[in-house]
Amino acid sequence: MHHRIADEIVEVLEAVWTSEEEGTVSEEGVADRAMTEVTPELLAECEQAGYIERPGGGEVRLTARGRQMAEEVIRRHRLAERLVVDVLGMTIEESEADACEFEHLLAPNVTEAICTLLGHPRFCPHQHPIPEGPCCQRAGDQVSAVVTSIDRLDIGVPAKVAYVSARNYRRIQMLSSLGILPGIPVRVHQRYPSFVIQCEETQIALEEEIARDIYVWRE
Amino acid sequence: MRKDRESMATVTSAPVGIESSSSERTPRILLVGNPNVGKSVIFGYLTGKYVAVSNYPGTTVEVSRGTMRLGGKSYEVIDTPGVNSLVPQSEDERVTRDMLLSSRPDLLIQVADAKNLRRTLLITSQLVELGIPMVLVLNLMDEARNRNIEIDVAGLSAMFGVPVLPTVATEGEGLTQLNRAIGQAIGKAQPPLDPLAASRKRLFEAEPVVDLLRSGGSDLPLPLTLEWLQTRDSGLRGPIIERLGLEPSARESLETTQRGAVRSLSGRLDELRNSLLDEATARFKKVLPGLADEARDSRGLSAAYVMLAVGMAIFLYTEAASLLNQFIGPYLGWTFPTPYSLVNGWFDQTLIPLAQAWLGGRGLGAIGTILFGTLNAETGAWESGFLYPAVTQVTLLIAPVIIPLAIVLYRSRRFAEKLGRWSREWQTGAPFLLVVLLLMYEFVGVVGAGTLVDAFETTLFNQYLTPPLQRMIPPGFVYDFLVGDYGLVSVGLTYALAIVLPIVFTFFIAFGLLEDSGYLPRLAILSDRLFRVMGLNGKAVLPMVLGLGCDTMATMTTRILATKKERIIATLLLVLGVPCSAQLGVILGITSSISVGAVLTVFGVVVSQMFLVGYLSSKIIPGRRGDFIFEIPPIRVPIFRNVWTKTRLRIIWYLKEALPLFVLGTLILFVLDRFRIPVPWGPTPWARVSGLAAIEGALAPVVTGVLQLPAETARVLILGFLRRDYGAAGLFDLVRTGQMDVVQIVTSLIVLTLFIPCVANFFMMIREHGTRKALLMLAFITPFAIGVGGVVAWLLRALKVTF
Repeated sequence: MHHRIADEIVEVLEAVWTSEEEGTVSEEGVADRAMTEVTPELLAECEQAGYIERPGGGEVRLTARGRQMAEEVIRRHRLAERLVVDVLGMTIEESEADACEFEHLLAPNVTEAICTLLGHPRFCPHQHPIPEGPCCQRAGDQVSAVVTSIDRLDIGVPAKVAYVSARNYRRIQMLSSLGILPGIPVRVHQRYPSFVIQCEETQIALEEEIARDIYVWRE
Repeated sequence: MRKDRESMATVTSAPVGIESSSSERTPRILLVGNPNVGKSVIFGYLTGKYVAVSNYPGTTVEVSRGTMRLGGKSYEVIDTPGVNSLVPQSEDERVTRDMLLSSRPDLLIQVADAKNLRRTLLITSQLVELGIPMVLVLNLMDEARNRNIEIDVAGLSAMFGVPVLPTVATEGEGLTQLNRAIGQAIGKAQPPLDPLAASRKRLFEAEPVVDLLRSGGSDLPLPLTLEWLQTRDSGLRGPIIERLGLEPSARESLETTQRGAVRSLSGRLDELRNSLLDEATARFKKVLPGLADEARDSRGLSAAYVMLAVGMAIFLYTEAASLLNQFIGPYLGWTFPTPYSLVNGWFDQTLIPLAQAWLGGRGLGAIGTILFGTLNAETGAWESGFLYPAVTQVTLLIAPVIIPLAIVLYRSRRFAEKLGRWSREWQTGAPFLLVVLLLMYEFVGVVGAGTLVDAFETTLFNQYLTPPLQRMIPPGFVYDFLVGDYGLVSVGLTYALAIVLPIVFTFFIAFGLLEDSGYLPRLAILSDRLFRVMGLNGKAVLPMVLGLGCDTMATMTTRILATKKERIIATLLLVLGVPCSAQLGVILGITSSISVGAVLTVFGVVVSQMFLVGYLSSKIIPGRRGDFIFEIPPIRVPIFRNVWTKTRLRIIWYLKEALPLFVLGTLILFVLDRFRIPVPWGPTPWARVSGLAAIEGALAPVVTGVLQLPAETARVLILGFLRRDYGAAGLFDLVRTGQMDVVQIVTSLIVLTLFIPCVANFFMMIREHGTRKALLMLAFITPFAIGVGGVVAWLLRALKVTF
C-alpha cells in the first residue's frame, strides 16, 4: 500500500461500498454495517480526507478517490475469504474474522498472486462480486485457475493433487488411503451421476461434495 | 495358501512393543507399505499364517508377528499397518513410524502396488533414508500388466540400490525369488542408496538448525527428522524431539525460534522429493500403447463378437416378443414365435415323450418324470422336471449372451475397459442395467422361481414325497403334525426346500456373478443420487439388491454402511419395500393375471412410499450420511471358485438361519389352527374357534373395513409375518380361485409388500439394531402399510378405476 490509512476509515469505506451494493446508502446504514464504531467525528474525518461526500439528508456517497480505495479493500477482503474457504477449508462463518484481518495486511502484489492462484474468482463465498484487479484484466477471457477443485475440472484434463481441504478427519483418511495425496496425477473420467476420477492407476468413484474438497494443479 | 513353501511358522498378534536390539536375537524383518497392497498375503506366505486377508483398505489393525524359516535360520517377521508416507499425519499412522524407529529391524520389505508407482516410490525414497537393508516387492503385477504398464525393474533397483521383485502374491508368482532375495539381503547387510543424498547435502550447508539437530548425537535420519518435526501436532512431534537427545536450551529454540527454519527446510526437502518422484515415475513406468497387445488372446475374438451380437439379438427379440405376446397377443389372436418357444414346443411334443416312453419301458418312469416332467392332462400345462425345461431355458436364452460375453471379456482388455465405462455412465448404464435385470429375471424368475420350483414342489414333493407319507401315516395327531394342513413336511419343508430354496439358490448364483464381475460398484455410481434422496448413498445398492434375494440376509449386510443412521434407514427400507425373491416370484405370478396399469400401480406405490419414508427418515433420524467414495475394481469375468464359495456359504447360512424359522412358523400355525379359544367375535359370542380364526376375526374390521378385502386375506397377512412368501403364496391361492377383483388384488399386493417383515427378518433386526429400534420399526410399518393400502383402495374405488 502506498500509505497506511487508519483502519477505521477503511471500515467505513467498506461499509459504504456494501451498502451501495444493496441499493441505499444512509449514515445509519453505514453505522450498522461497519465493523467499527462510526462516530460523527469519524465520518467527518473521511469527508475531510476526500473519501466520501455527504450531500445532506443523511446520504453518504463515495468520491472517486474513496471508490478506488474501497474497491481495493473489498477486493482484498473477498479474495481473502475465498482463500480461507477454498484453500484452508474453513467455513464461511469462520472465514469472516480472518478475512477482516487480511484486508488490512495484504500488499498489492500478494493480492494479485492470491487472485491468480484462485483463478481470478468473480464471487466471494457469500456470492458478492469481487472487484476486478489488474491481474484479472490481464488474464482476460482465458481465465483458468491454476489451483481448482476437482468438481470444476473438465473431463480428461490432466492435473496433480495440490491439497485436500476436507475438514472431516475420516474423509481425509479415506482419501489418502485411496492414494489421493499431494503430487499424485489425477484426471476426471465422469462427472455425472457421480464423479469418477483416475488417480494413478486406480479408478475412484466419489460424490460431488468430496470432489469439492480435492484441489488440484492444472497441468 | 500353498503348502509347498520353505517357511513354516507360528504367529502371535501382539501390541506394538519397544524392544532394544541385541546381537544375539533373531534377525527381524519388517513389512511396510501402502494400505491394501497385499502385505498380509506376503506375511502369510513368509510365516505360514493366514491373517484375515480382506479386500478392504485398513484391515491390519493390530500388528501381526510371525516367524519364518529360511535356510535353517529363523527370522522374526512383523507386519505393520499400511501407510501412505512415513511422515504420519495422525495418531493412528504413527504406529508404523514408531515401529520402524524402535524395533531396529535387520531387513525392511516394502510391499507395493506395482501399478501405482509414484505412491510406492514416495515410501521407498523415505525408507532408504533409514539406511536399513531393504527389498522392494512390486506386488499386484497382474493388475499392472492388465493395464499395459511396464516397469523397469532393473532401473529401479539401480536407483535405490535394493533388489526389486515383481510378484503376484495371491497366485504365488515371484515368491520363491522373494525368499532368495531375503536370504541374500540379510546376509550382505548392504544399505540402500539414497538418490537425494547429494542434493540434500547442499541444502543443509550453512543451516544452523541442521547443526542444532545434530548436536544431540542421535542416529535419526536428518531429512525425515525435519519432516517429522514439521507437523503441527505436538503429540506427533514429541517422541522425535525426545529421541534427538538435545540440551534443554536447544530443545527450547527448536520449538520456538527455529520452527520457521524447520518448516522452510522441510518444504524444500518436499520439493526435492517430488521432483525425484516425478522423474523416477516418468523414467521407470511405461504405459504401452493399448493396441500393441490389445487382446490378451485374440484367437476367435471376432467370432465371439459375432456370437455375442447374435445372442443379444435373440435375447432382446425374445424378451420383446414375450412382452408383446402377453399384452397385445390376446387382441391380435396371434403370437410372435421365439426360438425358445419353437424349440420347446418340439421338445414337449416329440423328444421328451419319446425319452419318457423309452425310460418307462425300462421301469424308470418315475426318474423320467423327475428329470423331464410330465404333461398335466387336466390343465394342459407342462409340469417341470429338474432338467427340462430348465436346461433349454438356460441354453437357449441365457447362455448365448453370457458365454460369448465372457469370452470377449476375457480375451480383450479393451472391451473389458469399455464395458466398465458403459456400465457406469448413465446414458449407456441404464440400458445396460435393463439387460442385466432381464437376464436376472430369466434366470431367477423363470428358471428358479418357475421351472425349478415347479420341479421341486409339483413334481418331487407333491407327487413323490408327501402322498406316500400320507398313505403310510394313519389319520390323527401325527398325521396332522407331519402332513396335515399345517404339517411340518407338507407345508414347512415344502415351502423351505421346494419353493424358497430353488429361488434363493438361483438368486445367490446370479448375485455372486454380479458381485465378482465388478458390476455392483458401477451400479452404486449410477444410483448414488437416488439413494441420497433417502439419506443413503450408492453403497446401499448392495444390501438393497441382496434384499431382492433375502431381506434377512440383506439386513445383516447393512453393516457395510458407514454410519448408524444409514444402517437404520437401509434396514427400514428393506423391511418396508424390498420384496424378497420368493415373494417377488409369487407377486410376478399374480401380476401376470392383471393388466400393465395395475402392475405399474403396485410398483409405483411401493417405490414412491420407499422414497417418501426414506426422505422423511433421513430428516428425522439424527446422525449423518457416510461419504460416497470407493475404489472401482475392473470389470472381469467372474471367477468360478469365488462365486461358488460365496453361493455355498450363503446357502448354508440360509439353511441354518431360515430353515428352522420355517419349521417354527409352521409349528405356530399348527398350534394356532389346533387349539380352540373362546372369542367375543366368533360366529356366536364366546364360541370356541381356532386360534387362527380368532386372529382373523380380530383383524376382520381392518381387512374388510379399511382395506375392503375379503376376510380371508387376514390369514394371508398373518402368514406373511411368518414368512413373507408364505403370505404371498396364500394370496396367490385367493387370486387363483377368483375371490378377488383387480382393485383388491392391487391393494393386497401393496399391503403385503409394505407389510411387516417375516419373523426371521424381525429377529435379524433385533440382532442388528436392538429390541427397541426393531419394535419401533415394526410399530411404524404395520399401521403405515395398512394406511397406504386403505388410501389406495379408497382412491381406486372413488375414481372408479378398474384397470
